[in-house]
Parts: sequence; structure tokens; C-alpha cells
Amino acid sequence: MAPSAGRRSALLGLGGALLAAAAPAETPTQVAPGVFVLPGVHEDASPTNGNAIANIGFVVGGASVAVVDPGGSLAHGRRLRRAVEAATPLPIRHLVLTHAHPDHVMGAAAFADLRPEVIGHARLPEALAQRRDGYLRMLEREMGPAAAAGSDALPPTRLVEDRLDLDLGGGRVLAISAHGPAHTDADLSLFDPATSTLWLSDLLFVERIPSLDGSLAGWLRELAALRDRPAAARAVPGHGPPAVPWPAAAAALAGYLEALRNGTRAAIASGLGIAEAPARVATAEAARWRLAENYHGRNVSTAYRELEWE
Amino acid sequence: MVGPLARRPLLAGALGLPWLAPAAGRAQGIEAADTPRRAERWRDLKEAIFDGRPTEPAGDALTLVAPSRALDAAAVPISLSLSAEAAPRVRAIHLVIDENPSPVAAVFRAGPAGDLRALSARVRVDAYTWMHAVAETADGRLLETAQFVKAAGGCSAPVGTDLRAARERMGRMRMALPEGPPAGPERAVPVQVAVSHPNTSGLQIDQLSRLNIPAEFVRALRVLYRGAEVLRVECDISIAENPTFGFALAGEAGGELRVEAEDNRDRRFASAWTVGASG
Repeated sequence: MAPSAGRRSALLGLGGALLAAAAPAETPTQVAPGVFVLPGVHEDASPTNGNAIANIGFVVGGASVAVVDPGGSLAHGRRLRRAVEAATPLPIRHLVLTHAHPDHVMGAAAFADLRPEVIGHARLPEALAQRRDGYLRMLEREMGPAAAAGSDALPPTRLVEDRLDLDLGGGRVLAISAHGPAHTDADLSLFDPATSTLWLSDLLFVERIPSLDGSLAGWLRELAALRDRPAAARAVPGHGPPAVPWPAAAAALAGYLEALRNGTRAAIASGLGIAEAPARVATAEAARWRLAENYHGRNVSTAYRELEWE
Repeated sequence: MVGPLARRPLLAGALGLPWLAPAAGRAQGIEAADTPRRAERWRDLKEAIFDGRPTEPAGDALTLVAPSRALDAAAVPISLSLSAEAAPRVRAIHLVIDENPSPVAAVFRAGPAGDLRALSARVRVDAYTWMHAVAETADGRLLETAQFVKAAGGCSAPVGTDLRAARERMGRMRMALPEGPPAGPERAVPVQVAVSHPNTSGLQIDQLSRLNIPAEFVRALRVLYRGAEVLRVECDISIAENPTFGFALAGEAGGELRVEAEDNRDRRFASAWTVGASG
């Protein structure tokens, strides 16, 4: 039994890499001219998925390429880099980290040798400083030490306080916005006027249950402002299909967040405790989403702690 | 990694840890290799906290409820309850989170006008850990119970709210009576009180200075009803942001419930509410 357990874990490590390499998301989807998305799977980090669970991708300009989220692991980042190299000979000069979560940033190490500028929200350095060690441990635990090895974020070199126009040459200028606390407290979105594409990353969840790690009231506010954004025709969600019609695709997320807010407020008002609320609040709305069992309870707990001091 | 299932019963048996039955260990997802280390840590903690006084299993007298897998490591809700027989005899309950940097999370002490029959708190959990509760009776017995909790990173988790805003709100208090006011000496009702306080653990990092945010935490909280002390809590950085405690209150409705808190910077906060039959 003992030797076979050891051998099994070694095989699992290898199998993870092989399975990941064979996954359909090896090839990115071009959702608009020059805008590529490598879709993630609706799972949590595991040895077989290599933490390739988020939508990541890149935008090709006339002179350079901007990678938007380098992925959840070194292997995921390398896969994205191969996809860029297959799509264009232009250099990767910019790495945009849309927020601090590990499924979006831990593949950055795959781009370190290119020395790209690393763009993040003004609060991203703090978030990464506080969480990086925990994320590294989480990847080791969930993927296995061999598959997790080498994965890491890169420290931001250019911070966005409010807005940043990122010129990729050839007339392609990405408008990057820093948001108030919403999905997390360091969310960026990008707008590509050339194709009317709004890259929302985890400010938009489709199919997979949203995870709340910033501010519920803030997320609803930012979402309302984004829905009113003129000229956006499609959005790239952080989880879900590579692209979805905008603003129509915001409705399900807004519905969930409103149910979470209203249900949590009602729980607090009725004296239902924080230990009991997660199993009772907005469970019907949560059941419509994938992986609700892994995230909804925590969303209620986070919402509860925010709203009880309203 | 090698043969965990085969090795666990052997170790538990060899070390004479009947309370770490292999089936229970497996159900709670405890790593076999860590079992002896965890047991030793608790023995050391117990020795330090209780000066080597012996403890005995609490049985039905004391129950600790904590989620086996926490939803949020920075605010894990726990509750403690005493049996009807034990409640009048227990003067204090110690809550210990073995693997936290500062393991003694709180000591609850019954005042002359209250008992510890139903308590709740929210705690930070830094790593997968045993959580222990030890009730101390008036005649000096120590009754011990435990629960394994899977959660990690709670002590260094980012401050949940904007720290500046949290400081501005510091000292504001909330009180809730989910089942209404007490209805006499024999009819205790649950009460929840909370103090707005960032309760920084000293393990969180400040963005600008790159240094840890200094620990600022509520170290004592006192509850009085009609001027008599119901409950005292001595607490520490293992208590979550905005310290929130639940307890049972008996007595005639219409009195004043007063909460006093004090933090490690000697700031004092107080609020009072009339717990009236008519609101």
C-alpha cells in the first residue's frame, strides 16, 4: 500500500500536466479582432486542472501585446504565452493584473524573463503583500508541490489610481479603470474602443457563482455604472464564456448580488446569527450557479459582516 | 504521504490518545503525520495556561460548536454552551485556538448577575487547528472539550474594511435581542453585543510602510444589567474585527444593559440600552 501511494502521487503530478495540456482551452478564442480569451473551467484548483479556472487572455496592438491576467499557475501562464506567440510576433510589453486572486495572477512567473511592465490597481501591492504567501501554500495544497512549483505573481510596476490609457500602437489604446471595492478591493477593468469590448474579469461572473471579497454595496454600485457604459457591445467575464453580450449579461449577477444583499439584511434584522445565515439566505438564487456549495456560504458571511454595520 | 491510513491507528494507540480515535480523525480530515505534534502542543499550552492543573473530559457539561470547515478564517463563529447542571457551577470558560500566534482567544468570566450557559464569539483562525474550551468550576475542576477547525490565514487576512473608516467608527456599539427582552429570573434570552473596532492582529501589513499594522485590539469587555455584572470577557487578537459576543441574560425586563470595553491602547468605550418590555 505504501509504495503504491507514493507512485500514485507521482503519476498524479505527471497526469495533471498531460491532462492540462490536452484540455480544449489550449487554443484561445478570438472574441473580437485582436482580442483573445483562453477560457477557464468551472472548477476549483486541482492537480488535473493546473488552476486554469479563470478566463485569461491578451490584446494585440500595432506595436505590442498586453496580457490580461497571466493565469493561475506557471503552467497556465506558459500556455497563454504559447498562445500569444502563435497569434503574433509582437512582443509582450504589458501584463495587466485585474485583481489579486490566485487564479488570475499566479501564472505571472511565466512572463518574468520578458520584463513586462506590470499594471495593477493602486491597492494591488498591499493585497498581494498580504496574500501571496497564503496563495502559494494554497496552490501547493490543492495542486501538489510539483505542479505548483514556480508559480508566482509579479510585483506591479505601474499603479492605476483612477484611469490609465494603455497605448499598444496602431491606434489601439486600452482604457483601464480602477474601481472602488467591489469583487475585491483592487479591481481593474479594461475597455477597447476599437472593438467595443469591455474586459471585466471578475467584476463579471457568468455561470460560476460570484465570490465576494470586497464590498457588496460597492459591487452593486460599480456594476450599475458599468451597465450604463455607452458603446460597450460585449464583455469578457472572469469566469464563464469567453465573451458575452453587454449589458444583458450583467442581469444574472446583479440579481444574485441583490438577493444576497436583501436576504442578508433581512437575516440581520430578524436576529438570525452569522453562523446560521449562510444556510438560509438567498439559497434559491445561489442554486442557479455552478459551485454554489463552495462559495455561497462565504458570500453570505462576508455580506453579513459588511451589512450589520450599515 | 506514505500510507497515512495504515499509520494513523498505530500512532493514536501508541500515544494513548483515545480521544483522537482514528475514525474521528479521518472524518475531520486531520493529517496523520501531524497528530502527535498537535497533541503535544495542546499538552504544552495546557501546562502553561493552567499551571499544570489536571483537566478532565467535559462530557455533556460543556459543548463547543465550531464549523469543521470555516467559511471565513477571519471571522469563524463559535458557540459554547453549558448543561443546566453545569451552568451554575462554572465560573470561567477559556477558549484556546491551539495553532494561533496568540492561542488564548478569550476567557469568559461569569459575573454575580449572570452565568456562562450560552456564549458566542467570532474568532480568527490562522491554520488548521484544534480549538479547545476549558470550563473552570467554582471548586477548581477543569472540564475540557475540543473541536478541529479547518481554516487558514485568518490572523493575517486583510482588514475587512477600510482601516481609516474602521478607526473613525471605533467604539460604536450594537446590541441585539433576537428573542426580545428577558422575562424574569428564570427566562434567560440571548443577547448579542458588538464593538466596532478594527482589532488589528499585528500580523496584517500596511501598504505604505510595508510594516505590520500595529496590534490594536479590545482586551476586555464587561456587561452589566441593572448595575450588576453579568459577564466579563478578557480577549486578544484572535477575536475577529468588530468583536461580537453573545450571552444569555436573565432578569426582569426594563433595566439598563451597559457594555464597557477597553483596548490595549487604554481607550475606553461604553454604551447603554434600556431593555424594556416595551422596547
